[in-house]
Amino acid sequence: MELDLDVVDYIQVAVTDKKCMTILPNNDKRRVTQKVVVGDKNGVLQCFGIKKRDVNSIFKLLPGPPISSIQLGGALGTPQDKIFVASGSDIRGYSRKGKKFLDFNSNLTEAVANLWISGSDLIVGGQYVFNHFSDCVDQGYYLASDKINDIMCFPVNRKEGDGLTTVLACNDHVLRGCELKYEAEVSGAPQSITGYKGDGGEGKGRWCTGTGDGKLGHVLLSGEQPIYNWEIPNESNYGGVSCLSHYDITGDGVPELIVGRDDGRVEILSYDAADEPTLRFSHNFNESVTAVQGGVVGSLGFEEVVVSTYSGWVTGLTTEHLQKKVSGNFHAGGTANAQDLVFDEETERKLETLRSEVELLQQQVENERTKHMQRTSKAVAANSNEMTHAPTFHVNDRFVLSPSDSSYKLSIEVQTAIDHIVLQSDVPIDLLDVESTSAVVSYTKNPPNPDGTPNADNFLLATYRCQANTTRLEVTVRSIEGQYGHLQAYIVPRLQPKTCVLRRYPIKPLSLHQRVHDIDESRAMSSLKLIGQFSLPEVHSWFVKCLPDLPDRTPTGDTATLHFRNIFLETQLVCTYRKGEAQVFSDNISTISILKDYLSREATLKKIALNIQYEVNDASMRGAIQLFHPKLDEQLMLAKKVQLLDALQELQTHEGNMEFLAPEYQQILEDGEDLKIKFKKQPARLERLYGMVTDLFIDKYKFKGINVKQKIPQLLETLDNYDQESLIEFFQQT
Amino acid sequence: MLVPIFTLKIKHKIHPRMVTVGKYDGLHPCLTCGTTASKVFVHNPHSPAIAGGRVAVQDSDISMLTMNQSVSALCAGQLDPSNDRDVLCIGTQTNLLAYDVHDNKDLFYKEVPDGVNNIVMGKISSVDVPLVIAGGNCTLQGFDHEGEDRFWTVTGDIVSSLALVDFTNDGHNELLVGSEDFDIRVFQGDDIISEMTETEAVTGLYSISGSRFGYALANGTIGVYDRSARYWRIKSKNQVMAIHSFDLDGDGVPELITGWSNGKIDVRSNSTGEVMFKDNMTSAVAGIVDADYRLDGKNQLICCSVDGEVRGYQTDKSRLLAVDANRSNDNMRDLNLTKQNLLLELRNYEREQGPMKKEQFTPMERVEGGVIPASTTIATELVIEEKENPCIELVVSTNNNDTVVRMVVIYAEALYEGESHVTHPPANTLSNKIRVPIFPPKDSAIELHIQAFVSLPGSMNFHVFEVTNHLPSFSAYLYQQSVPQIPESCVSFTLNERVPRVGIWMTENFILRHEIPCEESIDAHFIALRGGDLVFKMDSSGQVQIHTDNIDLAGDLIQSLASFLRLDHLQVTAHFPLHLDKLNSIMSTVNGLQSVTQKLAAEMTDHSNLIRSLVIRAEDARLQGDISNMKKGYIEVQDLNRDLVNGYKVRSANHQELVTSMKLVNQIIQKASHLRVGKYKAQLVTQCRDAIKTNKHSALFKIIQSGSA
Repeated sequence: MELDLDVVDYIQVAVTDKKCMTILPNNDKRRVTQKVVVGDKNGVLQCFGIKKRDVNSIFKLLPGPPISSIQLGGALGTPQDKIFVASGSDIRGYSRKGKKFLDFNSNLTEAVANLWISGSDLIVGGQYVFNHFSDCVDQGYYLASDKINDIMCFPVNRKEGDGLTTVLACNDHVLRGCELKYEAEVSGAPQSITGYKGDGGEGKGRWCTGTGDGKLGHVLLSGEQPIYNWEIPNESNYGGVSCLSHYDITGDGVPELIVGRDDGRVEILSYDAADEPTLRFSHNFNESVTAVQGGVVGSLGFEEVVVSTYSGWVTGLTTEHLQKKVSGNFHAGGTANAQDLVFDEETERKLETLRSEVELLQQQVENERTKHMQRTSKAVAANSNEMTHAPTFHVNDRFVLSPSDSSYKLSIEVQTAIDHIVLQSDVPIDLLDVESTSAVVSYTKNPPNPDGTPNADNFLLATYRCQANTTRLEVTVRSIEGQYGHLQAYIVPRLQPKTCVLRRYPIKPLSLHQRVHDIDESRAMSSLKLIGQFSLPEVHSWFVKCLPDLPDRTPTGDTATLHFRNIFLETQLVCTYRKGEAQVFSDNISTISILKDYLSREATLKKIALNIQYEVNDASMRGAIQLFHPKLDEQLMLAKKVQLLDALQELQTHEGNMEFLAPEYQQILEDGEDLKIKFKKQPARLERLYGMVTDLFIDKYKFKGINVKQKIPQLLETLDNYDQESLIEFFQQT
Repeated sequence: MLVPIFTLKIKHKIHPRMVTVGKYDGLHPCLTCGTTASKVFVHNPHSPAIAGGRVAVQDSDISMLTMNQSVSALCAGQLDPSNDRDVLCIGTQTNLLAYDVHDNKDLFYKEVPDGVNNIVMGKISSVDVPLVIAGGNCTLQGFDHEGEDRFWTVTGDIVSSLALVDFTNDGHNELLVGSEDFDIRVFQGDDIISEMTETEAVTGLYSISGSRFGYALANGTIGVYDRSARYWRIKSKNQVMAIHSFDLDGDGVPELITGWSNGKIDVRSNSTGEVMFKDNMTSAVAGIVDADYRLDGKNQLICCSVDGEVRGYQTDKSRLLAVDANRSNDNMRDLNLTKQNLLLELRNYEREQGPMKKEQFTPMERVEGGVIPASTTIATELVIEEKENPCIELVVSTNNNDTVVRMVVIYAEALYEGESHVTHPPANTLSNKIRVPIFPPKDSAIELHIQAFVSLPGSMNFHVFEVTNHLPSFSAYLYQQSVPQIPESCVSFTLNERVPRVGIWMTENFILRHEIPCEESIDAHFIALRGGDLVFKMDSSGQVQIHTDNIDLAGDLIQSLASFLRLDHLQVTAHFPLHLDKLNSIMSTVNGLQSVTQKLAAEMTDHSNLIRSLVIRAEDARLQGDISNMKKGYIEVQDLNRDLVNGYKVRSANHQELVTSMKLVNQIIQKASHLRVGKYKAQLVTQCRDAIKTNKHSALFKIIQSGSA
C-alpha cells in the first residue's frame, strides 16, 4: 500500500542546519494543532502554528549567532516541551512561549554541533569532543578518534533514576556507546542515528542509522557483540541520509521510519509484522533535507511529516488532500463550489501580500544598488584606496565516494539560484552525466603547452550552466588511483553584484579506498616498510593526504593501525605506523607502489631520509587476479551480450518466432532490457578494469626493476581473449 | 503532470523521427512508424488489413511493409487532389516511394539520387496541387501525385528538417528548410525570402500557427520564431527527438510539444516557453503526432517512444484550472526565492556601509573576504596578434596592479564546440591581464559574453565582472599594406554608392587598427587567419572587385554589403577558375559514373536470369538423382552469387561516389547563387537546373560566371 501525501509549504526562513527544526508536543488537553520550532543560520529562533492554513507566529527571536542544533527537553516524566538551542559554544533554553530560562556556556573549544537533553543531563558534542553536564556541572568528557556526526542517548523515555548511555555516530564508521565502551561498525560513515521505533526498543539499545553513502541499518547494542538486524543498501544511488525520525503517520500503532536525504529525497518506511521496513512513500524536494519530524500541524485529525530543507523551507507532507479540492471541480465542468473559491482567494491573498513585500524589498534593493553604483563610480573617478567586499553566500557542498559505482559524487548547494559553476581539475578525471541535473555542460579543450606537452594544469575545464531556479547541482566524478591533485569548483550564483566562491576538493592517490574495520587475514599480501626519522604526526599526515576517511587528528597511542578496502577491486590494505616506522600490507601491488611513490615524495619534501624495504609476494598476484576474475568475466560477458542484442532483435522482427535459436540467445533476448540498463549503469567499467590490470602488471615488474612498457600490447591482447589461467601465466612469465 | 487517456504497447521498436499518421482509407487514422530491419509498420486498430504485395499482416492490427532498403524518412498526407485518401511516402537513401496503403499499390517509385532525409507534404504557393517535397543532400525536390517533378531547388547543406509554414501570413505556405550549416531558409517558390542563422544543425521545424513556428537544434535547443524574429529559446542537455504543436489546454492557442532523448515530453507555452505540463516515457521519444485516434471527433496528441510505447493525450479545458493551481504554488515558491535573494543582497550591501580603507583589513581578511579596491574596473580589447601565426586575441585586464584576473569565461555561440570557453592560467603565472586567443570558425558576427573573475592574489572569493564584446563578421581577416600575390579568382560588380559608405561598412565588419583610406577609392588587402588572401577594390565609378579564392567568403561579403546598403538585387560577374575546373572534372566523373551504373544494372539482370536457369537445372538434376550435376550446378550458383556480391560492392561504392559528386555540384550552384542578390539568386538556380537537365555543361559554366544564360 502506497501512502498518498500532499505537499504544503509553510514558511521560509534563512539557511538551516541539520536538526534545527522540531515539533513541540501538545501538553494542552484541548485538541489543538502542534507547533513547529525552527532556527536558522541568521540565529533567528521562531515558533509557529497553523491556523486555518495561515502561519500563526507564536514567537520569533532576534537574529544572533547561527543556530547549529535544536533539541527538546524537560523534567523527566513530564512533556518534553522545553526548547534547547545550540549556537557557537552556548546552549540556551527557552520555554514553549519563547521565554529564556537558561543561558549556559559549555566552554567547549569547538562550536557545538550536536546536542542531547535528558532531564537535567546535557550532552554536548563538538567535532571530536563530547561533554556531559548534569545540572550544568561538568560530569566528564570523551575525545573521539574521528569526527562526531550525531549523538543520542538512551533510554529515550528515561525515568527518574535510570542511567544514561550516550551513543556517538563517528565518521570512521563506528557507533560508540560511551559509558559501555561498545564499538559497533556500520557499513558507511553514520550521519544520523535515531532510537529504533522512536524509543530505542524500550530501554534496550536499538538504533536505526543512516550513512553518508545513503544506506540505512538497524543495530542492536545490548550484549557483548552488536547485532545487525537489517540493512537497506543504496542501489539507486540516492543521496546520503541526513536525518531520521519515527512517527506513526498511518495511525496503526506502529511508528514509521522517516528518512531525509541530502539530495532532497524524503522517504517513509513502515515496519511489517517481521519488523522489516518497506518503502511506502517518497518525495523529492530537490534540496537537501535538514530535519524531518512527524506531528499534527496543518489541521486537526491529519497526521503529517514536517520537513525542513537547506534553504530554509519548512514544508508539510500531509495526509489531508488539499489539491483534490481544486481538482474536484474538473468534472463539474468549471463550476467551482464555494469551498474552492475560498481556497483560491486565500492563496490569492497570500500571493498578494508576498508580492507587495517583494516589491518593497525590490525598491530597497534598487536604492542600495544605485548607492553602490555611485560609490564604485566615485571610487573609480577618485581612484581612491577604498576597498569593496565580494558579496557572500552560503555553500553546502559534499564530495563523497559512492561505493555502488566506485565514483565520487560532488554535490553543491547554494542558498540562492546558481548561475553557473566552473569545474577545473589538475588531475585526469572523468565527469559523468547525472540524470537528475538539467544543467548544460560544455567542456573547454585545452591547448597543449607551447612545447607540445599536455597541459597539466587544466586536465579538465568545464562549465555547468544551470537552468533557472536551480539551487543544487550534482556531478559524478571518476578518478584513477595513483593520479592525485585537486578538483576546484568556482561557484557563481545569480546574485547581484556577481560574485564567486571557490571550493577545492582533494583527489587523493588512493581515492578508491574505503575505511573498514577488519580484513581477510588469509590473503597473501605483499608488504612495504619505511624506516626514517619521522614523528607520528608527520607520518599520520602523509597517510591522511593519501587515503580518504582519515581524521586530521593524530591518533592517540604509539601505534596506529588502519584497514582499508578498495571498493572497486575489493583488494585490501593495512597500514601500521608509529614514530620512525611505517608498514603497509596489501594484496594489490599497485596500491603498494602508489603508496611507496607518494610517501617517499612526501619524505623527500621534508628532507627526511627513508629506508624503504619491500617484499613482493608472488602468491598475492594470483590472489589479486582471482579477485579481478569475476568482474572481468562479468563485464566481458555483458559487453558481448549487449553487442549481440541488436542483431537478435532484428532477427526477431524478421522471423517473428525465435524458438529456433539456441536457448542462451533466447535468454539474451528475454533479458535485453536488464542487460542494457546494467550496461548503461557502468560506463567504461571494462576500460577501468583493463587499466588496473595493466597497472598491476607494470607495478609488479617495477618492484623487480624491470620496465615492461613494451609488453603492454601483448597484455591487452591477452585480455581481449580473456581467460583467467592464461592471464596468470602471462603475469608469471618473466 | 499529464495523464494519458490511452496507452498502447506495440511490440516493435520505433526508429526516431520515423513516426507519422495517415487516414489511408480516408476515415480511420493509422499510426505508421519505421522499425528495425528496414520495415515500416502500420497500426490500424479500426479496420482489418489485407496481406499481399508489400504488406504482411503480423498481429491483428499491425501490418508490415517491407522496403528492402533502410528507411530514412516517412510522411503521410494528401497528395491526390481527386480523392481524400492519404498517401504514405517513404524515403530511402536513393528512392522515394509514394504508396497507397488502402489499395496496397505503389503510386510512384522515383529515383532520388541525392537521397531523402526529410519529407513534407502539402501545397506551396508556386504549384497548384499538393506536393511531396523531399530534402536530400543540398537539394529539395517536389513531386505531384503522378510522380511528376514539379519543384527543384538547392540549399546550403544537407537538409535536416522541413516544414510548411505560412511565413508571410498571406494564406499560402512557404517552405522552411533547416540544414546542417545551421541555417533556416525560407523559400517562397524558388526565391529565398528569408534566412536565419542558428547555432547548430537544425533538426526540427514545425508550424505552430500563422507565421509562428518552433525549431529544434542538434545541441538540445528549442525555441519559437515568429517570421524571422525569435520569441524565446531554451537549451537542455538532452537531445530533441521530436517537436510538434497541439492545443492541449483548450485555450485555442497551440502549445509547443517537445519529445526528448531521455523520454521526457514537455508542453510549453508558445509565447513564453514556460513549461505547462510534462510527462515521462520510459525510453527516448521517437515521434509525436496528432490524430483522432479514438474516433470521437477530437484529435489526441500521440507520443511514441523508441520501445514501442504509445501514449495519447487529450485536450482538456480543466487543465487550465490545474495550471492555475500549480502556478499559484510555483509563484509562491518563486516569490519566496526572490524575496530571499533580495534579503541576501540587502544584507551584503549593509556590510558595505561606511568607507573601508585598505589599511583597515588584516592580510587574512584581504585574502579570505574577497576584498578588492572599489575602483577596480575591467577592460576588454580585441587585438590582432601578428606573430608567426597571427590570431585574434581578447585581452582582459584590470586597471590596477593589486588585483589578479584568476579566470576568464567566455560564453559565445558558434565560436566554440560547447557554449563556453574557460581560460584558467596556472596559479603561478597570474597577473592582472589574461589573453585569450580566438579563432572564429566561420564568418559571422558573434556576441562575446565575457566573465572575468577578479580578486586579490590567493583569495577564494572572487568578484565576477561581466562584459559584452562584439566580434565583427569578418574578424578573421587581417589588414595589410599589400599581399604578395593577388588571388586569381574574383567577383566584380557595380555599386551605385559613394565610396565612403562602403568604407563605413568595412570599419563595422572588420577589426581594423587604423581606418582604411576611402575617399576616392578603396584598395584593401587582408590576410585570412584561416589561410588565403583577400583583396577588396573599389574605384570612384562604383566598380567593385573582390579577389579571393574562397567562394563562400565572396558570397558572405556580397550578402553583408548588400544588406548594409539595402540593395534589393545585385548581379555580379564571377571568375572562379579553380571551382569551375573542379566542376568540370566532377561533371565528367558524373557522366562516367552514370554509365557505369547502367552497365552494372544490365550485368545484374543478366546474372539473375542466369541464376534462375542454373537453379532450375540443378533442381532438375536433384530430382533425377544426378547428384554430381546438381553439385556442379550449385557450385556455379555460388560463384555467380559471389560475382553478384562483388558487383553490388562496386555498385554501392559507385553510388556513394555519385552522391558525393552530386552534392558537390549542388553546393557549387548554391555558392554561385549566394554571390547574387535578390531575383538573380533564384534565376541562377532555375537556369542551372535546366542546364543540368538538358546536359548543357558549357551553359552551366556560363551561368555560374555571368549569372544568366
